[in-house]
Amino acid sequence: MLSRGEIADRLSSYPAFEDTMLGLQYAPRMPKAMVKETREVVAIARKFNEEVARPSALVLDRRTHEDPDYLPWELVEEANRRGFYTMWIPKLFGGKGFNLPSMSSFSEEVGSVCLGIMNVIGVHYLGVAGLMTSYNTPLIRRVLSEVVQGEKTGKPCLIALAITEPGAGTDVEEMELLEKGKVTCHARRVKGGYIVNGRKIFISMGHVSTWTALYGYSDLKNPSETTVGMMVKLGMKGFSLGTHENKMGQRVCPASELIFEDCFVPDDQVIADAQSVRKCSKKPLKEINMRYMDYTMSATRAGVGAFGTGAARGAFEKALAFANETELHGKPLINHEWVQCMLAEMYKNVMLGRLAYMEANCANGLRGAYKLLQLKPMYYYQKYMPQAYFDRVVSPLLEKESSTWLMRKMAYDWHDLADDRCASGWASLAKFTGTDFGIRNCQMAIELMGQAGLRQDRGVEKILRDAKLVQIYEGTNQLNRLNLFKCLIAPAHPKAKIFAE
Amino acid sequence: MLSSFNTDLKPFEELAGSFAAKELVKKVEEHDRHPFGPFFSDVLDKAYEVGFLGVMLPEELGGIGQDIRALCIILDSICRADGSLGGIIFTSALAQEVMLAAGAHKEAGKIFSKAASAKEFLVAYPSFCNPGQLVKLPHATKSGRNYLLTGEIEYVVMGGIASRALIPARIDDQAGYSFLLADLSDKGLEKSEPVFSLGFHACPAVDVTFKGVKARLVGEEGRGSVYFDAASRKMHVAAAAMNAGIMKGSFNEALAYAKERFQGGREIINWSEVSMILANMLIKANVADLCVAQACQAVRQENGQWGRHCMAAALHVHELACDATSDGIQVLGGNGYMKDYGQEKRYRDARQVQALLGIAPLKKIALIREAAGLDDPCAPA
Repeated sequence: MLSRGEIADRLSSYPAFEDTMLGLQYAPRMPKAMVKETREVVAIARKFNEEVARPSALVLDRRTHEDPDYLPWELVEEANRRGFYTMWIPKLFGGKGFNLPSMSSFSEEVGSVCLGIMNVIGVHYLGVAGLMTSYNTPLIRRVLSEVVQGEKTGKPCLIALAITEPGAGTDVEEMELLEKGKVTCHARRVKGGYIVNGRKIFISMGHVSTWTALYGYSDLKNPSETTVGMMVKLGMKGFSLGTHENKMGQRVCPASELIFEDCFVPDDQVIADAQSVRKCSKKPLKEINMRYMDYTMSATRAGVGAFGTGAARGAFEKALAFANETELHGKPLINHEWVQCMLAEMYKNVMLGRLAYMEANCANGLRGAYKLLQLKPMYYYQKYMPQAYFDRVVSPLLEKESSTWLMRKMAYDWHDLADDRCASGWASLAKFTGTDFGIRNCQMAIELMGQAGLRQDRGVEKILRDAKLVQIYEGTNQLNRLNLFKCLIAPAHPKAKIFAE
Repeated sequence: MLSSFNTDLKPFEELAGSFAAKELVKKVEEHDRHPFGPFFSDVLDKAYEVGFLGVMLPEELGGIGQDIRALCIILDSICRADGSLGGIIFTSALAQEVMLAAGAHKEAGKIFSKAASAKEFLVAYPSFCNPGQLVKLPHATKSGRNYLLTGEIEYVVMGGIASRALIPARIDDQAGYSFLLADLSDKGLEKSEPVFSLGFHACPAVDVTFKGVKARLVGEEGRGSVYFDAASRKMHVAAAAMNAGIMKGSFNEALAYAKERFQGGREIINWSEVSMILANMLIKANVADLCVAQACQAVRQENGQWGRHCMAAALHVHELACDATSDGIQVLGGNGYMKDYGQEKRYRDARQVQALLGIAPLKKIALIREAAGLDDPCAPA
C-alpha cells in the first residue's frame, strides 16, 4: 500500500516509531531464554521474600528506630549466601550472568515486601553499573573478582556509588547543571594518581560496602569536563565514614557520609578521567560524561521504576488483605463497590508501572546499555559457555588496555546518540511513572485502612515512608521529567532548550 | 489565617505561636523519637498549664471556655511546629465534646475542675475511629450503678498517659453503642506498649484489654453515635485546622530552603518548576485557611447544613495537606527525607490527621448520604 521509502518517511516524523513501542520492536530480537531466566529470578525473589524479607521487614524497621546506628550485616550476609551480589554480574567477570532486565522483576518482587531490604541488595548494582559503564575492563575485572570471591568465602564484598555532595544533588546527574554547580569533591592530579578531598552524602550502603565508585572533579570550576571516576576501598588512608543519616524510611539500608582528606587514589584505581577517555574518543568531554551518566542511569532508573512499582504492589496487597478481613455494615469490605473500584485502580497502577519499566528495559536491550549483552549470539554464548572458559580464555583479554579502548570506542564513538536518548528518556519515564504510582497506591491504601493503616505492625505505613525516597533518588522525579523532555520531545523541536530559562 | 478574619483571636495565635517557638521548634526531632525515646511530659504539663487541654471546655468545668475558632487557631499554630502536641490537644477536646454532647456536665466537672495535672485532666480516647464503623467493640454489662467492661479496643490515644479513658462499648445485645468512662489504673485493664505509628510519635496510643473493668456510663445507653456525631461535626474543623497548620509549616520550610539552595548556579526558587511546586503548595495552604475560617463560621452560625460543610471542608483540606507535604519533601530533595528537617514528619503527620475520626472514604459516603437525605449506615438501627 505504501512504498518502503514512504513508510520510512512517515515513521520518522515525530513521534518517531523507533522511539515508541519498544517492546514490539524488541520482541523478535529478544533471546527466548530470557523468559525462562526471568521466571527463575521471580521464583528466587519469592522464595527470599517468604524466608527472609517478609518475616524480617517490620522487625528490622523497628530495630533501626531503636538503634539508629544499626547496620544490616546479617542481611548482607544472607543475600551474599544466596548469591544475590553476583547474580547480575556478567559471566565474563565471573558472575552468574542473569539477564539485566530480570533484575527489575526481582526488584519489584522484593520491593513489594520491603524497599529497604531490596536496596540492601540492589544498590550494590548501582555501584556495579557505575563501574561497568566506564568500560575500564582491567579495573572492572579486579573489583568484580573480589565480589565473586566474597561470595565464595562468605565475606561479602559490595560496591557503592558516591556522586551526591552536600551542595549538589541534582546538579551532579546532568552536565548542563554540573557546569554551573557547586561541587567540592576535588581530585588533584599528582604523580601516579589523584589526591581527593571532599565529602559525599546520602551514599546508600556506604558503611557496609568494601568498594565505592567515587566521582570527583579535577577542576571544581569546570566539573563537567574534568570528572574523575575512582574506585576507593574502605580502609584506604584518608577515606573515612561520617554520619549515618536518620531517614524517614528504607532505614535498614544505611545512607552514609563519606569523607576524603588527602586520600591518594593510585592510577590503577582510576575508573576514567579526561586523559584516559581522550585516548578513545575525540568527542567533547562534556558529551562523553553525559553519555556515561546516561548509560548508568538508563539501567538504574528503570530499576528504580521497578522499586516504585514494588511499593505500589505492596500497598495494593496490604489494602486487598485489609478489604478481605474487614467487615463493614455486616458485609466484607471487599464486597463494597467503591472498594472494588479503589482496588482496581491500585491494580492498574501496578500494571502500568510494570509496563513502563519493562518498556524501558526493552529500550535498553534494543538501543541502550544492554544491547551488546542481549544480542542473541552474545547472550547465548555467555549463557552456555562454561565459566572455566571465561576464566581462562576471555578474562586475560580483559586485562589488556586494548579491550578498554575497544569498549569505549563502541560506547562513545560508534553508538548513535539517538539510541542513548531513547534509552535515557524511557528510563526516566519508567522512573517517575513507577515511583509516582508507588506513592499514589500507598496513599490510597492508607486512606482505605484508616486507623489500621497508621500502625507500623500492619506494614502499609512503612511502605509509604519507604516509597517517598524513590521519588527523590536517581534524580528527583522533576529532573527525570526534564530528562524525558530533553531525550524524547526536544530533539524534534529545534527551538526547545533545556535548563536555559 | 483565622486571625485575619477575626482580630479578637490574635492573642490565641500569639500564645500558641510563642509556646511552639519556645517549647517545640528546637526539639521536634527529639520529641519525635518516642516511643524509642522519652515522652515529652514537661511540654504536656506546660500545655495543660496554659489551658490548651481545655480550650472549648466551659470555665465552670475547668476549661477556658472558648469556641471552635480559638481551638482551630491554637491547633494551627502548634501543628506548624509539631503535629503531635496538636494530636493531644485534639484528643482532649474530642473526649470533652463527646461528654458534653452526652450531657455529662456533672461527670465532666468532677474530672476537669478537680484535676491537678495534665495526667488527671486528660481523658484518653480512640480519636482515629468512628465507633459505628468498628465491628468489634468492648462489651459492657450492667453491674449495680456501674458497668463491667470486657474485650479489647485498639489505638486509645494517650491511653498510656492519661488517668481515664472514654470508651465506646456495646451494652449487652443493644444494636448501637454507648460511651463509658474507665479508670486506666484499674487492675483488670491491660495496656500495650505505645503503638509505633506513622506520625504523631509524641501523641502515643495504646491497645487496651478490659477484663471486668468497672466503668461509668456517659449519657444514655445506646446513644453513642448521636454523641459522637454531634462532637465530631465540630471536631472535623479542628482536624482541618491541624492539617492547615502542618501545610503552612511545610510551605514555610520549603520556601526558605528554595531561597538558599543552589542548583545549576542559581537559587532553586529561580527554576520555574520549583516555583510552580511552591505556588501549588501556597495555593493549597491558602485554600485550607479559607476552608477552616468558613467552616468555623458555619459552626458558630449553626445553619442547617453546618455539619456537612465542616466535614466537606475537612476532607478537602486533608487531601490538600497530603499532596502539599509530599511536595514539601520534594523541594528539599534528599534533605527533605531526613529527620534533620521537619518535612518528613509533616508528611507523616498529615496522613495521621487525615485518619482522625474514621476512615476517609467512609466519611465521604456518610456525607453524600446525608446530603441525599438517606440513613447513615453507621447510625443505630
